[in-house]
Amino acid sequence: MPPIVSIVDVVKEYRLGKVVVPALQGVSLEVHPGEFISVAGPSGSGKTTLLNLIGCVDTATRGQVSVGGNDTGKLSERQLTSLRLDTIGFIFQSFNLVSVLTVYQNVELPLLLARRLDSAERRGRVNGLLEQVGIASHERHRPSELSGGQRQRVAVARALVTEPKLVLADEPTANLDSATGQNIIDLMKEMNRRKGTTFIFSTHDPKVMEHANAVIRLSDGRIAGRDLPRGPAEARA
Amino acid sequence: MISAFVVLVRIALRNLFASAINLVIGAIILFGTALVVVGGALLDSVDRAMSSSVIGSVAGHLQVYSAASRDELALYGDFGGEADLSPIQDFPKVKRALLSIEGVRKVVPMGINAALVASGNTVDLVLAELRELSNRKAKKETGLEGELEAQKQHVRQIIRVLRGDLEKSLAVMDKSAIEPEDLAALEQVSKDEFWAGFDRDPFGALEFLENRVAPQVSDADLLYLRYVGTDLGEFLRSFDRIRIVDGGPVPDGKRGFLFAKFFYEEGLKLKTARRLDKIHEALAQSGKKIAGDPVLERYVRENQSQTRDIVLQLGPEKTRLAIERLQRALLSKEQELSALLSSLFATDDSNFQERYRIFYEQVAPLLSLYRVRVGDTLTIKAFTRSGNVRSVNVKVYGTFAMEGLDKSPLAAAANLMDLMTFRDLYGFPSAETAEEISAMKAAAGAKEVDRSRAEEELFGGALVTQGSPVAIEESAVLGVRPRSRAEQLEDRVYTAEEIESGVVLNAAVLLDDAGRVPGVLRRIEELSGRERLGLKAVSWQKASGILGQMATAMKAALFFSAGIVFVIAMVIINNAMMMATLQRTQTIGTLRAIGAQRPFVLSMVLVETLVLGFLFGGGGALLGSLVMLLLGARGIPAFDDATYFFFSGPRLFPTLEVAQIAFALGIVTLVSIVSTLIPAVVATRVSPVVAMQAEE
Ligand SMILES: Nc1ncnc2c1ncn2[C@@H]1O[C@H](COP(=O)(O)OP(=O)(O)OP(=O)(O)O)[C@@H](O)[C@H]1O
Ligand SMILES: [Mg+2]
Repeated sequence: MPPIVSIVDVVKEYRLGKVVVPALQGVSLEVHPGEFISVAGPSGSGKTTLLNLIGCVDTATRGQVSVGGNDTGKLSERQLTSLRLDTIGFIFQSFNLVSVLTVYQNVELPLLLARRLDSAERRGRVNGLLEQVGIASHERHRPSELSGGQRQRVAVARALVTEPKLVLADEPTANLDSATGQNIIDLMKEMNRRKGTTFIFSTHDPKVMEHANAVIRLSDGRIAGRDLPRGPAEARA
Repeated sequence: MISAFVVLVRIALRNLFASAINLVIGAIILFGTALVVVGGALLDSVDRAMSSSVIGSVAGHLQVYSAASRDELALYGDFGGEADLSPIQDFPKVKRALLSIEGVRKVVPMGINAALVASGNTVDLVLAELRELSNRKAKKETGLEGELEAQKQHVRQIIRVLRGDLEKSLAVMDKSAIEPEDLAALEQVSKDEFWAGFDRDPFGALEFLENRVAPQVSDADLLYLRYVGTDLGEFLRSFDRIRIVDGGPVPDGKRGFLFAKFFYEEGLKLKTARRLDKIHEALAQSGKKIAGDPVLERYVRENQSQTRDIVLQLGPEKTRLAIERLQRALLSKEQELSALLSSLFATDDSNFQERYRIFYEQVAPLLSLYRVRVGDTLTIKAFTRSGNVRSVNVKVYGTFAMEGLDKSPLAAAANLMDLMTFRDLYGFPSAETAEEISAMKAAAGAKEVDRSRAEEELFGGALVTQGSPVAIEESAVLGVRPRSRAEQLEDRVYTAEEIESGVVLNAAVLLDDAGRVPGVLRRIEELSGRERLGLKAVSWQKASGILGQMATAMKAALFFSAGIVFVIAMVIINNAMMMATLQRTQTIGTLRAIGAQRPFVLSMVLVETLVLGFLFGGGGALLGSLVMLLLGARGIPAFDDATYFFFSGPRLFPTLEVAQIAFALGIVTLVSIVSTLIPAVVATRVSPVVAMQAEE
């Protein structure tokens, strides 16, 4: 099976006036469908930068990033947006729900943007997901009326509603207490198992890493290693 | 597509009430729309009121005049002077041609000119009457003794008052400030010998009185008398805003004069009475108070100090009556008339109405309130085009008001006279008058008056004389010419042909429909070119100068200020939307990250503004309509003369049209979209990367 993400010799530099900040310095990586991968590394090592490139919200300074077989460097802004809509789901550290919309409406939003399903299909899809992430009883609530864990569940549902091949999550548990964080990772893992969706998530938390199939260790913008996680997850995998 | 729109409207509606900034924008839009609706409707109503006033008073929809004229036509005067127009070549032909154009209803011939006339002072008037009586006596008329004696007594009364004044000033002032000749003259005419000699040489005595005594009373005003000479019958039928106030219309085809009511009141009414009227009006209509109002307080002071005009008007008998009545009304023991009048006019807010009533019920019947009365013959002296001074007598039939313009000094200063009299004054006398003049010249030996004498005659003469000079060059004839000739002229009825087949300077053209003005203007130009009529045609706005352009200018000024308001609103909305956008970069970035395209973000901001615009704009339109409905039902009272002028009457009943609401909504929508464009574009530039950055 071809890799869903393929990164070859990617360099990302940020320019702050005259100073060039190297965030990624020659990263190569392949991620295959169905993987549940954690990106780990100290603060400033380039985790978010890497996820941004994979998520097509930012472009590499040099090197090649392919997602779902598309060389992102060759796509227009519009095509990149379409690629994000169709192929990628996002889970954010601070949930990023649309505060004026209800839980149901937030989850439905990507489907409305995609315009592929009629309203009955949408309803079925959204309700099914709300059920799966265990937030169905709160579908009429506003994000502000939910706890952090509940919000992140809604975000997981929103990321999955278009049935993307790849879900990216940048520190999805950083704003949650550790028990709740565990729950979210469990939820993601479950979705990964049920639907075969590829997950790439970054984290500082070694406990969270344990759930991954593989841990990509970043250090100063380079890949320091690709390990199998230790602990119970290893046993499970 | 629809589903995406649904989510846009959903977000917009939700945001509407989630953000305080939106409420600020909403409030601006609400009041902006209400303002445009109300302002637009008011302006439109004012415009309509004013144009119908101007059109219906003298201008008509169009004016035509000779293309050969040196100046442009200025119906309401040209910087204080009169426009120099050449006469229309062949008016009957022009009229026929104009009437053949579709949409032209009436063509009214006119000519406008002005003369300086002296309003005369009381002493002049009394002496003129004495001279008239002496004249009649010299012609052996009998039974005049009683009248003559009463008139002499009146003159002696005047002399007593003047001497009293002079002596009072002698007591308080430096003697050198007083002309010794004045005092000597007064002393001489106070003597019984002077009056004993009067019967022997009345004209010598009169000359002394006229030259040495009358000039000591310097209250004669020079009046600038503007007049429109026209076919009076046709004029009154054609202009619906003209209303006869006193007297009646000039009978068709006759010579006659009608005073503009405003001019009559301002220029010819006894000043004291006029001031009382003005105070009365200010209190009654504008709800003002005398106390604290500098203008009204000044009127009261002037009335108290300027009682001499009244004192001089009254002969001994009437003086006695006036003293008696005032003593009773004011419960006073004061013996002196001027002191009694002073205390009568010492008015304040508590006693004004009573004093006003006392004046009109007790004092006014003893007085001539106007220098010229309806039914009198008015003598107008004017320079002809050739520079001669010509003097014409014409009977005053009444006064008229131009509805809506009746308080505008500019508009209401034009009086009306028949075209024949106008032509005589203008220097294009009718064939008949010309003949008469040459006959009289021959009879009088064509004696010319020298220049200095002519000036004196022009400016020093009393406004009303009973003699009827036709031209000042014939002053030798004065008093000799039989009165019946003037009466003949007065009774003569002119046919329409006679009226129209002489000099006409300009003509008002009235149409079926004001909307046809531009079309008819073009047709007149064409026709004039084809038939060599030598005409120039102008719209009523142009013909009426600043007056006609007032509404347009006001409109421009208001639209300009509305424009500024909108620019400010745009800046505020723009800033507010920008703030709202910046506050929402996280949301916008998230939307972009999860797959929303740029146009979606653009529409999101615009739809939000549109929803705001429709909601609050609709509310504003409703509010504005309600205000207009209220104003339309109750009318807006004019609170001063300027608003009276703009409202064309005491009250404006504005109307609201659907087009105005649509216009307001349109402009508000436009303004809000334009002012949101920049924030909307900025929103589309928000990068999806921001979604990944942790919220602060
Ligand atoms: N927009 C930016 N402009 C300039 N430098 C940036 C920008 N974003 C990241 N960097 C720099 O790039 C490097 C990598 O940053 P990145 O955010 O990818 O690290 P990270 O591993 O996600 O760190 P953290 O664990 O703190 O989230 C850092 O040195 C950072 O300062
Ligand atoms: Mg990071």
